[in-house]
Amino acid sequence: MILQLTVALPVLAAALLAAAGRWLPRLAVDAAALGTAAAVTALTAVALARSPHRPQVAWLGGWGPGTGVGIPLAADPFAAGTACTAAVLTLAALAFSWRYFTEIQAAFHAMVLLFLASMCGFAYTGDLFNAFVFFELMSVVAFALTGYRSEEPSTVHGALNFGIVQSIGAYLTLAGIALVYARTGELGLATAGRHLAAAGPGGGLVTGAFVLICTGYLVKAAAVPFHFWLADAHAVAPTPVCVLFSGIMVELGVYGVARTYWAVFDGLVPLRAVAVLGAAAALLGAVMSVLQHHVKRLLAYSTIAHVGLLLVGVAAATPGALAGTAYSLAGHAGVKGALFLGAGALLNRHRTVDVRDLRGRGRGMPVTGAVFLLGGLFLAGLPPSGTFAGHSVTEHAATEIGWWWYTPLSVAASALTAGAVLRVWAVVWRSAPAPAASRRDGPQEREDPETRVTLGSLPWTMLAPGLVLLAAGLATGLIPGGPVAAAAEAFTGHGAYAALVLDGRLTHPRPVPADPWTLPGFAGAAVTVLLAVLIAAATLPHAAPDGGGGRVGGRLARRPAGRAVGRAAAAVTARLHALHSGHIGDYAAWLTAGVAVLALLTALR
Amino acid sequence: MTARVRLLLFAVGTAGFAALFAAAVRGLPEFGGPVHPYAARAVHQAVREGTPNVVASVTFDQRGFDTLGEELILLAAAIAAVVVLHVVRREEEDDGAAHRHGPAEVSDALRIAGMLLLPVTLVAGVYIVAHGQQSPGGGFQGGVVLGTAVHLLYLAGDYPALQRLRPLPAFETAEALAAALFTAIVLYAAGWAATGRVPALNGAVGAEVGCALVLLLSKFFEQALLVRDPARPTK
Repeated sequence: MILQLTVALPVLAAALLAAAGRWLPRLAVDAAALGTAAAVTALTAVALARSPHRPQVAWLGGWGPGTGVGIPLAADPFAAGTACTAAVLTLAALAFSWRYFTEIQAAFHAMVLLFLASMCGFAYTGDLFNAFVFFELMSVVAFALTGYRSEEPSTVHGALNFGIVQSIGAYLTLAGIALVYARTGELGLATAGRHLAAAGPGGGLVTGAFVLICTGYLVKAAAVPFHFWLADAHAVAPTPVCVLFSGIMVELGVYGVARTYWAVFDGLVPLRAVAVLGAAAALLGAVMSVLQHHVKRLLAYSTIAHVGLLLVGVAAATPGALAGTAYSLAGHAGVKGALFLGAGALLNRHRTVDVRDLRGRGRGMPVTGAVFLLGGLFLAGLPPSGTFAGHSVTEHAATEIGWWWYTPLSVAASALTAGAVLRVWAVVWRSAPAPAASRRDGPQEREDPETRVTLGSLPWTMLAPGLVLLAAGLATGLIPGGPVAAAAEAFTGHGAYAALVLDGRLTHPRPVPADPWTLPGFAGAAVTVLLAVLIAAATLPHAAPDGGGGRVGGRLARRPAGRAVGRAAAAVTARLHALHSGHIGDYAAWLTAGVAVLALLTALR
Repeated sequence: MTARVRLLLFAVGTAGFAALFAAAVRGLPEFGGPVHPYAARAVHQAVREGTPNVVASVTFDQRGFDTLGEELILLAAAIAAVVVLHVVRREEEDDGAAHRHGPAEVSDALRIAGMLLLPVTLVAGVYIVAHGQQSPGGGFQGGVVLGTAVHLLYLAGDYPALQRLRPLPAFETAEALAAALFTAIVLYAAGWAATGRVPALNGAVGAEVGCALVLLLSKFFEQALLVRDPARPTK
């Protein structure tokens, strides 16, 4: 029953809040939403704790596997862990929203709870079409949450781009599901998988179905060139919503690819296309992240980079790499959630998240400063964070299968994104404030405040969620490697998912425990942290003309050779910015081109 | 990106997609073939449960969880429309725009036809919802008929009457309650006989879809009927 309740409880609470919200006092609305999120967290935690020992499968409406028409919900450890991550992030986002939004309708809480229900449903479902339904629900709620402050034209623009790109992706996913259904007469992941496996490798249909189904998930996961929507949406979405987007919604795209591959297409198609698009996302996202001044956009591009690494980890298709990816996903969710809440605190106090306007203005916010500093270091993989464990385990597994390029890629992407965050910390918290006269010319991009009242001091409800998420990001690295490795083995095991769902039988593999605490792991972390600090220092903006601030910055550009490099970099930067034009036609064209690339790479034998 | 480059990129992508899809379609079973594994199972199970309408058995019984998800998509869309468009409306009104009221200029024939059709259409909608488990129809279709029926008043030119007929807060509440009811039935009705479960679910869906449609259309009407008064100075 706990699996059904995980989806039904937030749905019921959301419907009741939507029905009665206009008459309820704000406190009751917040309490109801928080209580529901806490209950879902508990339910998913119970499922997670039970999943290695007892099969957690529920056939809805009593239509068991024998009838061949029912829909199963199944929670293996990774499914339950993903749902649990979603619930924890929702709890943090709702707690933060309590004092953050001074004027908000119960509809916001209702939509956040529906979002949670859709994510749990997507994680638990064992049915292709049902996964699509919850995927769509997730998207519809996400569009609405993105466009919540619809009085701003940029908000409508961002939400519209998000909606159109995601919808195109979803149609392609549905087309792929239709292909599988037409071929096998099955909609269950497990039954379709058994059918395709029995038919043997191959053919255009299997390739086509896999590519099309994955397209929608890869749009969600923001793989290059499907990633354009992400920064636009994150820049305009309310900050607590960004926590959910970056922390878990985008990662659910990765989960979708992994689940679909191992449950349905195991061994029938190569995953190299996913690796290529993921690696491209890791590089492009990391570079774009360094080029941003807008903190929310910076964090959004950083998400693209880190999720790109997750995709490569899945594409490596070994249990070891998947175990590392699970560590990374959990660690990244905590750290990125904390960073977005920090950005929300900045927005609340200073009405802007543009670093150029925030120089030296972080002095009254020591806790948020600590979040940015530690968050930056954790993104670089400072032990014992979850990101450290993820990098260490995945790099080891990738090297084992001969993917020598993965470690440099991972180090570079992590160092660049962490450097960008550390630079924000250095500028906002460690620089002297620019005198009023030398502030940036030109139109300052004033953010809509999201809140009408700037709070005098940050209340604990806005600080504690960030700290808790940061601590969670740290603690995930301490999860013992044995259960994680066993979960990865069960996830990737040939026929293991079908055995769980159809036969109610757990496989009990005894794999080598994942071990992050290795010498190469520590060396990689040390190099990444060092590089991140160097990148942050090298890219610090110039001091103000009167020498008021910026003790460190811009040494590079003063040398002649540095100037030539600087010019070339400026040209590349301009090209990259032009590429991310915000034009929806461009995005759609890139999406179709991406499908072609995916198809080509998957069809090559 | 210039329009030319964009078109070229799109053309290349589309060609790739076309090739992929053509190759995939070649792997499908022959059109009109005799083997339909899913349909065979679904019909067999519907008959075994004694549900007269196989489609209703699939949508509300065998795959009721899908229907729940689709209902929630509608609920989310309606909540979203209310929230997102409400802000826009307030903003426009601040700028001096006003709603156009009063009877529109429509012919008497249209006015009478609208008034006559309203009760008939409402009854037809209720019938389609209530009879969904036995004959073609059901909650979704009947709900849409119910939702559109009240808008015959708009076609008849009487927007104020339409506004009186559908107090929006009540519809918002009813919509959400119907969704909650549907969820509760899906959760706890596993033990009921299908003949009891399917009509109950049909009714909940009918109420939810009807209310959601009225809400969505009302928000679109507000956008469409919002006019700027040229006489009043705008800022």
